[in-house]
Amino acid sequence: MSYYRGVCNFCGTGCGHLLQVEEGRVRGVYPLPGHPLSQGRLCVRGWHIHELLQTEERITSAFIRENGQLRQVSLNEALDFVAKKLQRLSGEEIAFLASPRASNEDNYLFGKFARAVMKSNNLSLASDAGQEESARVLLEGCGWPAATGSLSRLKQADFILVAGGDLTKQNPIVASEIHRARRAGAFVATISPRKTQMARLSRLHLRPAPGSMSLVVEALARIIYEQKKYNLEYLTERTENHQAYLSHLESLNLEEILALTGVALEALTELAGKLSAAKLAYVFYPTGVQSLDRRTMAALFNLMLMTGKLGQGEGGIIPVTGISNLLGSYDMGLSPTFLPGYLEASDENNCRKLETLWETKISRTPGRSVSASLAENKSLRALMVVDHDEEIIRQVNRIKELELVVYFGAYQNAFARLANVIIPRPSYAEADGTYTNFERRVQLNRQKVKPLAEVQPLWKILSSLARALGHDWQYESAEQVMAEISRVVPQYAALTYEKLESSLGLKWPVDEIHPEGTDYLLPEQKKAKFRFVLEEKTLSQPTIIREPEADFPFKLTVGRSNYFWHQNSVMKRTFIPKREYNALLLLYPKGFVEISAEDASRLKLREKQPVRVISPSAEITLAARISPDVLPGQLYIPYFVEEMIPEFLLRQVAELEKSEEYFLPVRLEKVG
Amino acid sequence: MYWLEQSQVEILMNKLAESYELFGPRRDEVSGEVIFDRLGNPRQLDLSAPIPYNPPKYILFPHYEEILKYRYDRKTKKVALERINHLKPKALVGLRACDLNGLMCLDRFFLGQEFVDEVYLEHRKKLFLISNTCVRPFPQCFCVCTDSGPAAREGFDLDLTRVGERYLVEVGSKKGQKMVEELGLKEAGAEAAGLKKKVVDESVSSFDALALENKAWISRATNRLTTGFIKPEVWEYIGQQCFECGACSFVCPTCSCFNVEDVNRLDGTTDRVRTWDSCSFEGYTKMAGDHNPRKPVEDRRNKRFFCKLSYSQSKKYLRPGCVGCGRCARVCPGDIGLPNVVTYIRREITGE
Amino acid sequence: MESSLIPIVTVPEVATVVEIRDEIDEVKTFYFSFDRPEIEQAFKVRSGQFIMCTVFGAGEFAVSLPFSPENDRKHISVRRVGKVTAALHELQPGDKIGVRGPFGNGFPFEEIKGKNIIYVAGGIGLIPLRSSIVHVLQHRPEFGRVILVYGARSSRDLMYKESIREWKATENFETYFTIDRPEPGWNGEVGFVNQLVAKINLPAENTVAFVCGPPVMFNSVIKELKLKGLKEGHIYSTLERHMKCGIGKCQHCAIGRTLVCVDGPVYTYKQIKTLGEQI
Repeated sequence: MSYYRGVCNFCGTGCGHLLQVEEGRVRGVYPLPGHPLSQGRLCVRGWHIHELLQTEERITSAFIRENGQLRQVSLNEALDFVAKKLQRLSGEEIAFLASPRASNEDNYLFGKFARAVMKSNNLSLASDAGQEESARVLLEGCGWPAATGSLSRLKQADFILVAGGDLTKQNPIVASEIHRARRAGAFVATISPRKTQMARLSRLHLRPAPGSMSLVVEALARIIYEQKKYNLEYLTERTENHQAYLSHLESLNLEEILALTGVALEALTELAGKLSAAKLAYVFYPTGVQSLDRRTMAALFNLMLMTGKLGQGEGGIIPVTGISNLLGSYDMGLSPTFLPGYLEASDENNCRKLETLWETKISRTPGRSVSASLAENKSLRALMVVDHDEEIIRQVNRIKELELVVYFGAYQNAFARLANVIIPRPSYAEADGTYTNFERRVQLNRQKVKPLAEVQPLWKILSSLARALGHDWQYESAEQVMAEISRVVPQYAALTYEKLESSLGLKWPVDEIHPEGTDYLLPEQKKAKFRFVLEEKTLSQPTIIREPEADFPFKLTVGRSNYFWHQNSVMKRTFIPKREYNALLLLYPKGFVEISAEDASRLKLREKQPVRVISPSAEITLAARISPDVLPGQLYIPYFVEEMIPEFLLRQVAELEKSEEYFLPVRLEKVG
Repeated sequence: MYWLEQSQVEILMNKLAESYELFGPRRDEVSGEVIFDRLGNPRQLDLSAPIPYNPPKYILFPHYEEILKYRYDRKTKKVALERINHLKPKALVGLRACDLNGLMCLDRFFLGQEFVDEVYLEHRKKLFLISNTCVRPFPQCFCVCTDSGPAAREGFDLDLTRVGERYLVEVGSKKGQKMVEELGLKEAGAEAAGLKKKVVDESVSSFDALALENKAWISRATNRLTTGFIKPEVWEYIGQQCFECGACSFVCPTCSCFNVEDVNRLDGTTDRVRTWDSCSFEGYTKMAGDHNPRKPVEDRRNKRFFCKLSYSQSKKYLRPGCVGCGRCARVCPGDIGLPNVVTYIRREITGE
Repeated sequence: MESSLIPIVTVPEVATVVEIRDEIDEVKTFYFSFDRPEIEQAFKVRSGQFIMCTVFGAGEFAVSLPFSPENDRKHISVRRVGKVTAALHELQPGDKIGVRGPFGNGFPFEEIKGKNIIYVAGGIGLIPLRSSIVHVLQHRPEFGRVILVYGARSSRDLMYKESIREWKATENFETYFTIDRPEPGWNGEVGFVNQLVAKINLPAENTVAFVCGPPVMFNSVIKELKLKGLKEGHIYSTLERHMKCGIGKCQHCAIGRTLVCVDGPVYTYKQIKTLGEQI
């Protein structure tokens, strides 16, 4: 046969596909009918994954940089070189940047290498906006860090809320599922400042002013509270701190909120009514490519908890990851504050348990994310990076100062220019691996094509390095790595490749109680108490949103969903997705800023006219693009324009990157 | 006509395997879905399997195909050109009537217009086609609306119709006749034609009960699409639900748009590659510079259905561009496959 | 005049760039000749046809042929606007290119003998019209009045300046040139092309017009020509589209029910109006 089952590796939906393999090469792709989630659909990226997998722009052998020049070396020589350097480094002096696209096996050993071998807790992921906050909010609230339900009964839902992002571009098939649910009768509402396609496909679209989404959600809760459309018995029985939450709602000034957000009372009331009456309700928000701030996520959680929609069957809160294995990466503990399985790194018991399992000590020094390490850690000397996803590299200057930068990559990438050692990795079709999608579905992707001779899976390379540094890692196959994962990560306790082979993925937790995984957990936990996620700030008066100052009358938001993919190193290797995702940016090669028609005519701005966008600390010149998707007073820039990063947004990058709720006050000036 | 016993199916396959690579419907072990795939083992063939999820067009119109290889040495100014042509003969066994009709549309389009496409011709010359009458429709089918099934009328080398436990074999070409003789199949008597008609009639009459997913009143829509008398609001409504994924074109047995790229390889040669393309995409008509004559998504939807159903396009295919296979309806994330679109157009016309 | 095709329509024929000339900003002319003598002998075009030109290592693009079918050096004039044309502009004399074609229907020639011909061009729109102009001038006695109205943004943007000098001096060839804004040293007309068309005395009976230029110019010129009395079926233009195959298979160039590479690229204004999609 030519068509082999597999899992797409672009976004966090994890659609099933069939790769056509002829004579050892991937020649085509087709959707996998009968896949429980994608059900025979693919998006434009998934339909062209074979173009990516045919590219010859690969890293095909190892390199070491000497005197500024790269010298091709054998894999063994490169590993020897790296091992010798690593021997002289302490945990504080090294940081690890993982790829959310790599498999669970690769990521697990990468994390173990950092913690167990190098005794470092400085590890984090690229492209993980909001994922950690989302996990923390959910853990705090209901004890589970990811989707509380699954999409198997989405068509029976009567209420679906999509908050933020641009789901039709970030996870098209998830948006398609929501669209189908709407056609089956669900009430679909979107809350987002921009008029996205998801907004157009919804029955109701609320457009709050940038930065005020959390207030809109709290206002919804307040209306439900006023109308007493909640079950006090349920709250008393199942939640720990409902009094604090209800008092907080009581204290909100609804009129002030309506004024600040710009949302109409009727729309909010309608939405509140639909939610409280719903028998099966879902809330979706994006993570990874673009996300919400913690406060909005908490507000959404609290809303669902109060209305009793959590733990009610397959519904609940569904964070939608934008990158293929973003959730799996956090399952494997690729964060300074989580150990594998979402155990707190700061808890001594958790550390001891892990040390017993790994038969080696780990460090107790709190770790930092890679960008924090680069920004703050003066003693940082080395960096290990796996397949950097974005083209634009942050903190380039600091990275150039490091003594050792090791890049494990499959595709040629600008990051390789900064590396001292480059080590090739297989593409995802060239190695076995499991990937976990946003629904907690762990799917096995078997090797379809043989990689080149010098190219080994990451878990194998790390094993060699570990052995060179005195740790007896003897993994023979990805399957064996999964066997260890199942001993260490409680959610994967009963997972085996055999089970995964004969199914189309299993949703964790897969353990003794749920040997075939589970769609939803919360209803089972009849005794467990949930918590409203409240913060100091939440309990006091809602903070007034920073009103734009007179000198900076516009609110500039920065988005990523649409345009994240255009500079992505995997997209660049395709023909058609590159053409499509570039289509807009090719019209405005130096970037653009979207402005509403009213503001454009008021300022007498023409389409494509260059304007200076000036913030209190920096400025940049871009072409104006008149768009119906932004409201007057708002401006929108698609993030990935190269010049913007170092010059304009660098100082605000961390904030803007994490959440679309942040905005910059700016003003516009015509050029020339 | 001739009779083919169940037991002789494997003999037929083995005979074909002597000179052809075998392709036919097989079932995926885990999902149970049917894929039209290369058969490593003749026993993988499942003639009773439902309509395969993928059309067989990829076999003669590949998803990704190098049509030319060249090397240009700028120093010596020498150009070496090579047509890539290592195509093996292939036998497609168990084609459904809709897919066979789709193949004939592709034939007429690639071979029967102003130019003959040599690339397609090379693939097409080496095919042996065996069609398989649908004794019952499947939920997604509507070939009766597009006059493309459930039985094939022409275009096959051999056509199989299951009658009871055996197959009636109709010969459609000299190649087919030769195969029948080499296998020594028993001739069917005068009752054969009547038996086949009975099977086909039964199949047609069960559409109402079994083919529940799609119905398309094509004739009504064809007129409006050709003349363009459809309100822009209808196209906007349809366009809003388009996720611009291209799936409709990729799964359609009659769609054949392609992209051509020159890809530089590491060894210094360049491959000219043809890949599937779709008019659904915004970049499809974008010209170098800024001009894009078909930018709004509703215009692209309009164009697609014009291409599928209008009279002017049908002239190229000598039949409507849609073969009623129902795949676009299954694979569309926005639920705007052809049957639904025809319904929206009809509603506008009749005001329902 | 019949045209002859390169034998295999999907494989480019190798040609050598013999000379490169800078024309206007970002536009160069590439003179070429085929490597194989039998092709060089047999290659015949009609005015208004196009070829698919391969820049080895970069890709292929469609480009109209500006040379007359008779006694005219084979060349293409190309503006640098994308990836492939940028690679083309890097070539030197002696480099090779690939040619497939000629494709397309071409401008009418025999059919318009005895008629008056008005050529209206804007900017680089003169390039495809040149093939017809030169061919008609080679058979001058067989046609009625022959008029050229040509305008560009500035004098620097006028194409084929050498040919323009010749044409100005040609008897029986009424030429009018205009630039958008006044310039020191320019003694000709100032203003847009459609304004110039409105001013001139143009025949209406037994007359055809060929119009080629940017979309904005196109519509305004058609308006003026119709005011002068020309019929829509007698106004020709050549349409451009993104093309990948040139032989009517990839369908990128489809407009409504027509494929520009096989039914066109030359259409009358009457046909353009009924194509079913905007151009």
